[in-house]
Amino acid sequence: MLLQLNNISKWVHSGGQKVFLLKDINFWVHEGDFISIMGPSGSGKSTLLNIIGMLDGFDEGEYSFLDESVHTLKEKHRANLYKQYIGFVFQSYHLLDELTVKENLEMPLLYKKIGGSERKALVADMLDRFNIVGKKDLFPSQLSGGQQQLVGIARALIASPKLILADEPTGNLNSKQGEEIMEIFKQLNNEGVTIIQVTHSEKNTAYGSRIINLLDGSIV
Amino acid sequence: MIRNYFKIIWRNTIREKQFTFLNILGLTIGITSCFIIGLYVYNEVTYDTSHEKGDRIYRINQSYIWGDWNDQYAATGPNVAVALKADAPEFEKVTRMLSLGSQNMRNKSATENTNIFKEEEYFLAEENFFEVFSFEFIKGDPKTALKEPMSLAITQETASRYFGNKDPMGKPLEVRKSDGTWDTFTVSAVLADVPENSHIQFDILGSLSTIQKKLQNQNWLWAWTGFGTYGLVKEGTDIENLTNKIQAIPPKWAARTTERLFSQPYEEFTDGKEWKLYLQPLKEIYLSDTPNEHAFGPNGNPQFVKLFSAIGILILFLCSINFMNLSTARSSKRSKEVGIRKVLGSDRNRLIKQFVLESTLFVAASTLLAIILTQLSLSGFNAIADKELSFIPLLMNPICIGIIILFILILGVASGSYPAFYLSSFQPIETLKGKVTSVFKGKNLRNGLVVFQFTISIALIICAFFVQKQLAYTSSLDLGLIKDNVLQIHNIEQLGDRAETLKAKLEANPAFTDVGKSYGIPPNVWSGDKYRAFGPENPAIHFTDVRTEGDFLDVLGLTFIEGRNFDPDRIADKYGVVLNEEAVKVLGWGKRDTYAADSPIGKFVAMTNESADKMEVLGVVEDFNFTTTKEKIGPLVILHQDNDKVWNYGRGRTFLAARLDPNGVENSRNLQTLIEGIEKEMAQIDPSILFEYSFMDQEFEKTFKSEQRMAKVLNIFTVLALIIACLGLFGLAAFSAERRIKELGIRKVLGAKVSELALLFSSEFTKLVMISILLASPIAYLLVNEWLKDFAYRTPIDIWVFLVAAICAIVITLLTVSMQTLKAAMTNPVDNLRTE
Repeated sequence: MLLQLNNISKWVHSGGQKVFLLKDINFWVHEGDFISIMGPSGSGKSTLLNIIGMLDGFDEGEYSFLDESVHTLKEKHRANLYKQYIGFVFQSYHLLDELTVKENLEMPLLYKKIGGSERKALVADMLDRFNIVGKKDLFPSQLSGGQQQLVGIARALIASPKLILADEPTGNLNSKQGEEIMEIFKQLNNEGVTIIQVTHSEKNTAYGSRIINLLDGSIV
Repeated sequence: MIRNYFKIIWRNTIREKQFTFLNILGLTIGITSCFIIGLYVYNEVTYDTSHEKGDRIYRINQSYIWGDWNDQYAATGPNVAVALKADAPEFEKVTRMLSLGSQNMRNKSATENTNIFKEEEYFLAEENFFEVFSFEFIKGDPKTALKEPMSLAITQETASRYFGNKDPMGKPLEVRKSDGTWDTFTVSAVLADVPENSHIQFDILGSLSTIQKKLQNQNWLWAWTGFGTYGLVKEGTDIENLTNKIQAIPPKWAARTTERLFSQPYEEFTDGKEWKLYLQPLKEIYLSDTPNEHAFGPNGNPQFVKLFSAIGILILFLCSINFMNLSTARSSKRSKEVGIRKVLGSDRNRLIKQFVLESTLFVAASTLLAIILTQLSLSGFNAIADKELSFIPLLMNPICIGIIILFILILGVASGSYPAFYLSSFQPIETLKGKVTSVFKGKNLRNGLVVFQFTISIALIICAFFVQKQLAYTSSLDLGLIKDNVLQIHNIEQLGDRAETLKAKLEANPAFTDVGKSYGIPPNVWSGDKYRAFGPENPAIHFTDVRTEGDFLDVLGLTFIEGRNFDPDRIADKYGVVLNEEAVKVLGWGKRDTYAADSPIGKFVAMTNESADKMEVLGVVEDFNFTTTKEKIGPLVILHQDNDKVWNYGRGRTFLAARLDPNGVENSRNLQTLIEGIEKEMAQIDPSILFEYSFMDQEFEKTFKSEQRMAKVLNIFTVLALIIACLGLFGLAAFSAERRIKELGIRKVLGAKVSELALLFSSEFTKLVMISILLASPIAYLLVNEWLKDFAYRTPIDIWVFLVAAICAIVITLLTVSMQTLKAAMTNPVDNLRTE
């Protein structure tokens, strides 16, 4: 078991009333899963993904990641945990505009204090694997959307995480680019990487092994 | 990692050209101002610090016993040093300087009369002078240089003036005496030029033993106050005790002076006022408020130092605020970077480090530019402030480099810390989701900072306006005399009796309507003494006095209210006096409207109670300004030039004043020819006398030289402060335009006109400036009020000045934000709304 959520709830107060963003979520992920979270706008998909990614907290329930209970951890330990095991892929890529492709890939390694030669080797590996060696000195603005997302995935993967969280990874792409990205996810999954994606697209869910449907904060 | 930081900072800098430019420009202007002000203040506070025994040297000041003011007086009579040597063994040495006024000198071997120079900075000093002060010697022995009579110690510059490259040691130099003959001195020492930051500034020091004979006869005097007395105390002396102890000296030693000179016992002379001696530490002399002048060099203005220190610190604040404002305003752009870095594993400390590093690099770059700019603009500043500041030698000093590095670090951390803490506090999910609402949290603070900037700038503007207004006001005052078109010819005392020849020549010249001789010319009428209405019970009062002749009063264009002018045909007029209205009033003889019933004419004034000393009042003139218009008109007694009842302390300088017929001199070339003509006539009488002239209106202007200088410097820094504040405002407007573009787009779609949008947008900033005006006005009022207290004639603090400043500020604001306003109001809403 990679992670497990028990009775997770999250709410905000609005006009004196509790408004549930998530209610009683029970959810588990095994290593090697490829899970798609679906649901209409405002159903809590992104909130759930953020909680799994430990970017956001929750008000009630238990969350354990690799048998560590996340809800009891201090902020700093939690950050260490997700830095080590989780990679993020975003709808709008979120590459740093001021850095080249190569430098963007290198950044997570810098924060992990990995030495220069090893860093170079890892970056070269990744460039090679995604077939973007020729683009390594370009800036994000010089790439197409699909290429940018490719770099985004490569960056998420470079520190060899156990889990990749992707928030509508193809939302800003045209259908052909979207398919290419999903193919890559599929391939990664086959190599053993666990993936959780939030998506609107029925087509994308076909690549996954399991679908979670959310409506108004609850799993249906 | 560091390389990664540098990389991203560098690329950001290149990408955001406008932001970088505004930031670097603001910081550079601010730091340059700060450096220049820092140099100025450093120079002012390090006067007289180079003397080896400096911390044991004290100047002896005394109470101004002859007048009503309670300030300390930096000059003493010759006896003070004698008394201290006798009664205060705590002094290791006591030394004196004596000012004789400017002297004409020549190199004896040069026969040409053109080789004469007027030496303004020539004094006599006692033998042990160089054992107290450590001025740098190039040739000669400090112990013996001023021992022998007729010795001169000269500075290197003076040496090259008279002797060129030749060795001046042992060579003769001649000093012109008042009778036209020359005294021969011998050069006994050559000194390095006196450093600029010394309160004693001399070109030539003669040995005090030169006037040995006169000094021996008058060494008991407390009245001959041409001396500066300096004492070197023994190590470990308790100055407070010593000061208390020497208070016994005046009653013991000055009594002889009051008895012999003023025929009054000490108690009667001092009349309850304490005749005190003060010990002023050497380092405090230059920047002291009291005494605020002395005869041997410049005296600084402590107010200027405080004012400019304050302005320097404020400007630094302004540019630091600017940096914070621009950096946080850009946060919507930086927030994404913060979010990504956090998600990729950066913690907050690293982000803070990154942002502080960024601001420090900005400050460092600006400091480098500022160093260059300071060096480039220093000569201009020196010209305005009349200073000789230099930057390069300081830059070579490792301590100074250390201070600059420390300055960079402090300013960098100070300017960078707020943006760093602010930006690094963003939550990654919020910034990455584009939920940037939280990013605007700092709005009130940013607005507050802009208000603070503008408050300072507007207060400076108002102050600068009032300084200009006051200067204009004082130069247009009705002085009671006609100061225009009066030519003054100097050095007339050297002509002796032949002055009349020159005067006759001038009188014959149709270009002049009036010509008169005088021992003092407004606004430089300084000398004074105690006078009383003749009679045993009448109190002695301090009067300003001036020796002149009747013709001179005609030149000035004075109005006689009562009585008459001196008449050269009546010999008895020699002992007559002309008073001003104020003098009549303080003597208790009534005001203008009582003259008819009880005329002051025919009454007597005197210095003592001896009836032989009494002098008849011939006339009363309307009050006129005979000194700077900073002061109210005091009582003045005008003496006849030949009056020998009033002690004439070493006959002073004499002038010929001539009123030009304004119709006779049409242009400056005419005037030039006229003046050259006079020069030739004077040379015909005696070619060895220097020809110097000036104009009375210019002399009045000169009395406001330091205020004018201050006004110029203040104007410059006001403009700089305003520029910095505008940069900040510009940055804020750019930020606001970016933030509000969607709102304005929606408004436009709903039917708002461009003009309405422009108004809406700019009102945000006009509001801030209005608040600043409200805050700045009372601050400026207090400052201006305080400054005007120094003047006897004050320009009214009119409300319209505040209004003009307010309008200026608003116009400047609108211009600054106009570009952003138009950009925001005129963009096609489709472009903005689509990208959301």
